[in-house]
Amino acid sequence: MAQIPNLDNAPINLISIREQSQKELINILKNIRGKKCLVIDPKLGDSLSLIIQTSLLKEHGVELRHLSADHIQTDCTKVVYLVRSQPNLMRHICSNIHHDESKGLQREYHVYFVPRRTVVCEKVLEEEKLHNMVTIGEYPLYIVPMDEDVLSFELDLAYKECQVDGDTSSLWHIAKAIHKLEFSFGVIPNLRAKGKASVRVADILNRMQAEEPVNSSDMVMPEINTLILLDREVDMVTPLCSQLTYEGLLDEFLNIKNGSIELDASIMGLQQEGEKTKVPLNSTDKLFKEIRDLNFEVVVQILRQKATSMKQDYTEMTTTSQSVSELKDFVKKLNSLPEITRHINLAQHLTTFTSKPSFLGQLDMEHTIVESQSYDICFDYIEELIHKQEPLTTVLRLLILFSVTNSGLPKKHFDYLRRELLHSYGFEHITTLNNLEKAGLFKKQESRSNWLTIKRALQLVVEDTDTANPNDISYVFSGYAPLSIRLIQHAIRSGWRPVEEILKLLPGPHLETKRGAFSNSPSFDSLSGVSTGIAKVPDGRRALVLVVFVGGVTFAEISALRFLCSQEGMAYDLIIATTKIVNGQTLVETFMEKLG
Amino acid sequence: MANVSVAAEWQLLYNRYYRKPELYPMRWKHVDLARHKVAGAPFGGPVAVIRDDSKIVQLHAESALRKLRLFNSAGHPLADAVWRHPGGRLIGMSWNDDLTLVCVVQDGTIYRYDLHAQLVEPNISMGKECFEQNVADCAFWGNGVVCITEQNQLFCIPDFRNPKPVPLADPMIDEPPRCIAVIEPQYTMSGNVEVLLGVADDPVVLVVEEDGVQRLGEGLLRGPLQKMVVSRDGKWLASFTHDGRLLVTTSDLTGIIIERECEADENLRLIKPSLPEAVEACVDASGHEFDVSRQRTLLRAASYGQAFCSNFQRDRIQEMCKILRVLNAVRNPEIGIPLSIQQYKLLSPSVLIGRLINAHRHLLALRISEYLGMNQEVVIMHWACSKITASLSIPDATLLDILLDKLKLCKGISYAAVAAHADKNGRRKLAAMLVDHEPRSSKQVVPLLLSIGEEDTALMKATESGDIDLVYLVLFHIWQKRQSLEFFGTIQARPLARDLFITYARCYKHEYLKDFFLSTGQLQDVAFLLWKESWEFVKNPMASKGSPLHGPRIKLIEKAQSLFAETKEHVFESKAAEEHAKLLRIQHELEVTTKQAIFVDSSISDTIRTCIVLGNHRAAMRVKTEFKVSEKRWYWLKVFALATIKDWVALEKFSKEKRPPIGYRPFVEACIEADEKAEAIKYIPKLADPRERAESYARIGLVKEAADAASQAKDGELLGRLKLTFAQNAAASSIFDTLRDRLSFPGAS
Repeated sequence: MAQIPNLDNAPINLISIREQSQKELINILKNIRGKKCLVIDPKLGDSLSLIIQTSLLKEHGVELRHLSADHIQTDCTKVVYLVRSQPNLMRHICSNIHHDESKGLQREYHVYFVPRRTVVCEKVLEEEKLHNMVTIGEYPLYIVPMDEDVLSFELDLAYKECQVDGDTSSLWHIAKAIHKLEFSFGVIPNLRAKGKASVRVADILNRMQAEEPVNSSDMVMPEINTLILLDREVDMVTPLCSQLTYEGLLDEFLNIKNGSIELDASIMGLQQEGEKTKVPLNSTDKLFKEIRDLNFEVVVQILRQKATSMKQDYTEMTTTSQSVSELKDFVKKLNSLPEITRHINLAQHLTTFTSKPSFLGQLDMEHTIVESQSYDICFDYIEELIHKQEPLTTVLRLLILFSVTNSGLPKKHFDYLRRELLHSYGFEHITTLNNLEKAGLFKKQESRSNWLTIKRALQLVVEDTDTANPNDISYVFSGYAPLSIRLIQHAIRSGWRPVEEILKLLPGPHLETKRGAFSNSPSFDSLSGVSTGIAKVPDGRRALVLVVFVGGVTFAEISALRFLCSQEGMAYDLIIATTKIVNGQTLVETFMEKLG
Repeated sequence: MANVSVAAEWQLLYNRYYRKPELYPMRWKHVDLARHKVAGAPFGGPVAVIRDDSKIVQLHAESALRKLRLFNSAGHPLADAVWRHPGGRLIGMSWNDDLTLVCVVQDGTIYRYDLHAQLVEPNISMGKECFEQNVADCAFWGNGVVCITEQNQLFCIPDFRNPKPVPLADPMIDEPPRCIAVIEPQYTMSGNVEVLLGVADDPVVLVVEEDGVQRLGEGLLRGPLQKMVVSRDGKWLASFTHDGRLLVTTSDLTGIIIERECEADENLRLIKPSLPEAVEACVDASGHEFDVSRQRTLLRAASYGQAFCSNFQRDRIQEMCKILRVLNAVRNPEIGIPLSIQQYKLLSPSVLIGRLINAHRHLLALRISEYLGMNQEVVIMHWACSKITASLSIPDATLLDILLDKLKLCKGISYAAVAAHADKNGRRKLAAMLVDHEPRSSKQVVPLLLSIGEEDTALMKATESGDIDLVYLVLFHIWQKRQSLEFFGTIQARPLARDLFITYARCYKHEYLKDFFLSTGQLQDVAFLLWKESWEFVKNPMASKGSPLHGPRIKLIEKAQSLFAETKEHVFESKAAEEHAKLLRIQHELEVTTKQAIFVDSSISDTIRTCIVLGNHRAAMRVKTEFKVSEKRWYWLKVFALATIKDWVALEKFSKEKRPPIGYRPFVEACIEADEKAEAIKYIPKLADPRERAESYARIGLVKEAADAASQAKDGELLGRLKLTFAQNAAASSIFDTLRDRLSFPGAS
């Protein structure tokens, strides 16, 4: 399947990372001889689809199943569980094995934990008295390359676990993943972090380096120059706004999952009625690479131009006599026709959503909230959404945006809206509200909001944004420059120092430090590469910055970063890593928990 | 330089010269080797001596109790211990590879001693048969032993690191063998030990293995053997025959070697010595020399000769000097390890260092490792551990300073390992102090802290490391060890541990979690748990059977409500729980009166809608009043419910009841969404805002009305937007046209 992205143009050797992961998985399978039933937890299965082809697994005698509470139907006597090390998944494994036992089935069980075995999972097996029946192993998958410049740690619950449960496992995972990268690409000499979780990741990373140092002496020059870590908590405004880039909109409405979307075949102009088809979305698709980061309005224009010029060529072709070379050019152009058709189909499908009054109204309201001028209008709008029982995630998304920009709501309003929510959607949502309150996303106002100051100081709202010829990242939200990317823009250009006062207004501490053998080397001093040009790597490539989002990143933000990269005078290439690619909806969903 | 007295020491034996220098005059007193059993360790190791209890000896001025005495090679006493083991006579003793003295007694028990004559626990047994039959003789090799019983059965321990006795095949002999020798497992084909037995009155050697017995040497031997010795590499066998001949054969007894292998390194002697070779020979010779002044003489000669050779490797001499310095240091009678240069090379410097520290010669070991540029960690570590063992009377703080002073010499040394040793010696406090200095906080340190009972420190270190797995490790450890209340107290003070406990318990230990919240006074969390449980009744219909009013379920929610009420901060939750209980009651009543099971577990708003859809307006009104539903919400709910059942008459009636508190927008929206243009038109003119009117007209496709309303609003942007809404047309002839036109997007052109 073309879903595995092409990584040939990655700024660091991501292919070797992926191949390593492939090899490790194959070795696990090879070491268990004969036919076996591989039971994968479904979310992990999704991540693995970016690493290895199913056919390759089958070549190694694998019968594939998804982990669930239902018992495994297979003739294989060897069952290999491949699961993320989450205690709740153990329950399924236990019930599977207990079922086999009750049926007198004698099987050989292997449990491989991703990325490593944990005391808590083994404890569950032990309590169920199964730990002597299973062979335990590890599959150290910490990073999944999503595209040539995007890596994911595949920790979809990281933000919620940290903020609500106080479970910081994900931070260790992130540090470990970065440390693993350092073993391949050298110790990253510069580090900048903002937010409690990010500073903690930096701390754990430094501890790892002290305990298990990457030998920096045999690495002449580290391939990654700077590491920037940013908490999602620092900017919860951006992911809640509707993304207006092409890829962002595709994700908002069609839910991009592991680099592809699934939709009705008829939408793609295919014959099979009622069937679903999968469309891969990554930079292997040249046209997609060209338009994914653009504002959707512009994408529509570009596609229209392409179609028009194709039509003109066709007309010329049929009406005038052409030379052979001209014919050849035309045929060449025709080759891009499937790509053009694919994206025209998708774009047209998107317009059915974007032209809805409800969407336009929502966009309008998002901008009003971000502008933070008309509290009452926003309040009334959200109240009405609740009364109309609009989908809960839609409501919560705006509500959180509203609460975050106001640093909470006055107690009276807070209690009133909570009551209206419970009345409208049911009392089982008390847990969701409780979660949101714990995470500080929907809460009682306790201090004045800094949002206006921040917005002004960082020029987050940009009038007259030209989406067709943008000169600022604000084009991705048609006028709002994402706070997260503004911060990174500063971090890259001049470090934290010039924006220190603003950083203090945002949640969590910040950190700027040098690491490894380069901690005393002046040539790596600060990222002032733009003016002095010292950041250039000798061979003419640009120095590389790894930007890590702790708690998730949206496609629109990724697009904004790519836009920064493409700017003249930019001395750096960027590579982005995230706990998971999110959007407002998926982010809100992680906090939703019904009592029932 | 040639010296007659030196040359006179050398004796020709067959085709080579040998000499037998006296290395040390033995310093021991009153040791008559004839009256003792003696075991000397290879590689210049120690000598163990004990009075032979199989011989009748006259006691001089000494105790009747036997003593095991250990000496270095120079006869310098190292340690001793009184021998009072049961189990009969001492049959044999020998030093094994790690310099443990192994002593086999008659009943098959094996006692082991270290270099300091300390008994190494546990004792090993050769098994039941040996115990019953008595051990008659034994033979040792580097790491194992073979015993032969009085009934001529053989048992062996192939490896002392895993001391399990293994029976060997029955050699089927009636008389005890004349002699016994062993080929080590590493030199045999099978990888198992081979025992050679010289049998009485039979000119063969029996080779006994685990799974069989072979007869070797038939036709080669002319009579029984008296004594056999296997070479170190297991290839050759030297034996003493019944007629007093010395025979060297291959160890499989296929050929007599001493007559065949005669090639010598005569070459060198035959060739007229050229200078580089002479220099080389001097350097070599110095290495083999034990006498320091002669070493000096030889090296001086080499150094002189070297000056006239252009291509002689200069560092050869340097290297030799280095080796000799080390050798001379350990040969010193105080240390007493008379290693030859071959032995030293075979042994390797690191093993030598190991032996020195084992003998508590730490300073020398440290100097040597420093001199040879080796890692000093091993030495310092061993020193620190020995120091702790030997310093029972030194207070913790003082000892810590002494230790730190040396430990800091070595970067990256494991304080944790030293701490583990301190703990083993019953110095828990010192151990904790040492761990505090350990820079590495993780995998090794945390389990160690747990093993020495320093749980709080372990928890702190685990938390610092950020490795949640370690925190869980500590958490489960404490959980298991402590009483619930104490455990709760511990984790309550540690937010990360507490949160992780709660996360785990939420999944698997619900009841226990309740106890925890109760003990820490977090009543609201107990309330949440109870509230959550109330839903379990829904999932499990059996639980609610026979109780139409869902009694137990409502009781749980009410319990939750009262717990919420006990804390000041949870008024909202308390009220919500109260309302929830009330709602369930009303929903039950509704299900009873309507005979439809569609109410329970829907929301208040949904209940109202359902009532209206069913035409039960009184019930809807009652729910509205009971829960003080605002007029705003009421209007939205009722309008949408009426639109759902397309009761347009009722809707119009409702619109006229009174002026709707939120205007007519709900009416318009409901009609448009139901695609009832005619109905919508009734309400659009009543909208107060001309912009809303314009947009509503536009949505149902009334261009003119929309334009009118928009111009009324005097909103240019709105006009523009409406224009776009109507700009769509889809007439396409060719595929390209289709593609192009399908792309009409508001705001796109």
